[in-house]
Amino acid sequence: MTVRAYLFLAPFLAIFATFVIAPAVFGLGISVTNWSPFRARTAFVGLKNYIALFTPGSLQATQFWTAMRATGLFVVISVPLLLVIPLAVAALLNSRVRAATFFRTIFFAPYVLGVAVIGLVWGYILDTQQGILNHILRLFGLDRDIPWTVNTPWVWVSLVGVTVWWTMGLNTVIFLAGMKGISAELYEAAAIDGAGTWRSFRQVTVPGLRSVTLFVTTTTILASSNMFGQSYLLTQGGPGDETRTAIMYIADQGLSQNNMPGATAMSYVLFLILAIISVVNFRLQRDRGEESKS
Amino acid sequence: MKKRWIRGAALGVVAAVTVALTGCSGGGDQTSTDGASLGEGGYSGPKVEITFWNGWTGGNAPKLVPQMVDKFNSEHDNITVKNVVQEWSDIASKLPLAIQSGNGPDVAVLHGDDLGTYAAQNLLTKADNLISTLGYSAKDFPPGVFDKGNYDGAQYAVPWSVTPLGLYINTDVAAKAGITDVPTDKQGYEAALEALKTSGVQGEWVDSFVFTGTFEFESLLWQFGGELYNEDVTKATFNSEAGVQALTWMADHISKGWSPADVSQDGDINALIAGNTAYNWNGVWQTTNTAFDGVQWKAAAVPQIGTQKAVWSSSTHWVFPANKGQNTDKTTAAATFVKWMNDNAAEWASTGELPAANTVRDDPSLVANYPNLKPFIGELDYAHYETVAPGINEANALITTALSNALTGKMSPKEALDDAAKQADQILEQNQAKYGG
Repeated sequence: MTVRAYLFLAPFLAIFATFVIAPAVFGLGISVTNWSPFRARTAFVGLKNYIALFTPGSLQATQFWTAMRATGLFVVISVPLLLVIPLAVAALLNSRVRAATFFRTIFFAPYVLGVAVIGLVWGYILDTQQGILNHILRLFGLDRDIPWTVNTPWVWVSLVGVTVWWTMGLNTVIFLAGMKGISAELYEAAAIDGAGTWRSFRQVTVPGLRSVTLFVTTTTILASSNMFGQSYLLTQGGPGDETRTAIMYIADQGLSQNNMPGATAMSYVLFLILAIISVVNFRLQRDRGEESKS
Repeated sequence: MKKRWIRGAALGVVAAVTVALTGCSGGGDQTSTDGASLGEGGYSGPKVEITFWNGWTGGNAPKLVPQMVDKFNSEHDNITVKNVVQEWSDIASKLPLAIQSGNGPDVAVLHGDDLGTYAAQNLLTKADNLISTLGYSAKDFPPGVFDKGNYDGAQYAVPWSVTPLGLYINTDVAAKAGITDVPTDKQGYEAALEALKTSGVQGEWVDSFVFTGTFEFESLLWQFGGELYNEDVTKATFNSEAGVQALTWMADHISKGWSPADVSQDGDINALIAGNTAYNWNGVWQTTNTAFDGVQWKAAAVPQIGTQKAVWSSSTHWVFPANKGQNTDKTTAAATFVKWMNDNAAEWASTGELPAANTVRDDPSLVANYPNLKPFIGELDYAHYETVAPGINEANALITTALSNALTGKMSPKEALDDAAKQADQILEQNQAKYGG
């Protein structure tokens, strides 16, 4: 039985080992060397590339942590919105609305678009002087142009807004699927006990979605931490370095500036931080789960 | 879940490994030999097939280049050129490793600001003899371009095209403010901007992006007598008095009401096309922009704002990659191809770039066929080209950051430039280590 199971898993494991495990190990290897596509001989440099990231005042550290700040800010603003809004939309779709399937499709539709399309379309909409959005706002009496993609704080409003519009559909359908899995009897029982809509949402729906919420929270944090395309296309990382995210900086260093060792070291620091956040997130949500059971 | 993080983190390093695997043969040991010398009338050896890499994916080029290559092939029995087109960014990521593993092209076109990075690492053939056999010297090209192919005393490249900045004018908008003359100096230009302001038009929109705020800033820096970097490119000098004057003049556009604040990427040229502004400093490539159809426009040389005439230009160059085990016959055949292409470059003007070869550009038929290019050609006597030094693009990027900080009001022009220069100095120092050995 076990042999057969492994045989079935073999194709996946082979791909996983080749494209995930091997690169991860190679990356770790590169991060402790001075490897360069231009260098004849590669030397082991120990933790130098990591130490550089934690040396205050060094260029690499300054730029990396500025980029980490951008990523952190984006996660902090976008993740709550990407949880609350899809949850609310899913709850509405789950109640007996007319044409729920139609709305579900509408909400999900943007998610199938590539980031290049998103960047192009929203670029037209958000242009400071000639964008559609500012044009509409002027019709409503706004007397100045809002620099949606050029100046703070509007760049963050745009990046978060665009991302929520783009990706909320995924979280919505996952929440919705979770809600379909909650037994109707629980709602009936709640109704008999006199619970209204809000009460049954809080006492039945939310606890019933615990494992789904854990999954959605984790994937959303990871997705937001990997934000790259939106700021690359809409704000070019500006103004200054304000919206240059960690992934954007790492990609630039590794792929454009021939600094692969530095870039892999940064990747591992980012990986470590995300790993810690995910573990904490698991712990918190599991503990809460156990509390409510006891 | 755990697998997901691994996957996330691994994504970033997949690229690293792919390159590590393909690059493990190691480079640097290939000696950059000069190509075999070239007989009169070009390559005369046995039949060879040579590979040509370029990033010409847009505009008229995808149609024009295969035609030129076919014509060359039909005229040369012993040379077959294989034209390989890919995005510039793909070339940047593949070419070094391809050359080191011996799978690179025999000839390629690179941007001027990439030459130093390749040359410093012995990825290009030192082609002094080859190029002088072709009969080329600095005087065959606009002043300053040929020398951009020179690194550490050796000539690596032959110029192919130059693309200076110019002044685009929406003549309808200008006429409404009573301006019929093309301003050529500071006084005239500022008077025109004031006249436009009186007629309710912000005359020149300044943006803080590479296209084209950075190009305008660099033009102005040179006009005020400054330089981007010191002679041996170890120190940034764009924060000099000249740099501050240049950036202050741009930032003043906003405070004086000549430009709106916070212009988006390409907002400047779009505004010109939409008839919302009169002037835009933009590259010669815009002459082929089909959005200009139906707009009353013309191009002119950029006005002289500073103490001397100067304008930014970029350039592209032919190079002969020093592939591991490079066949000298192929390099010689490639040189023959380069010479032929440069001699037959007249049609290249249709892509919105100026052919670098003087013989082609000075032929009266070129301007007759492409009249919009005339002012740009006139600028080449005083054009400045991009800095040649390994890894210079990372330092250059900070100039745009400074522009962004100054034009969005985050810092004063001087603070922004000083801050950028300080970081650029560190990058230049790092580059010495990164590309030095």
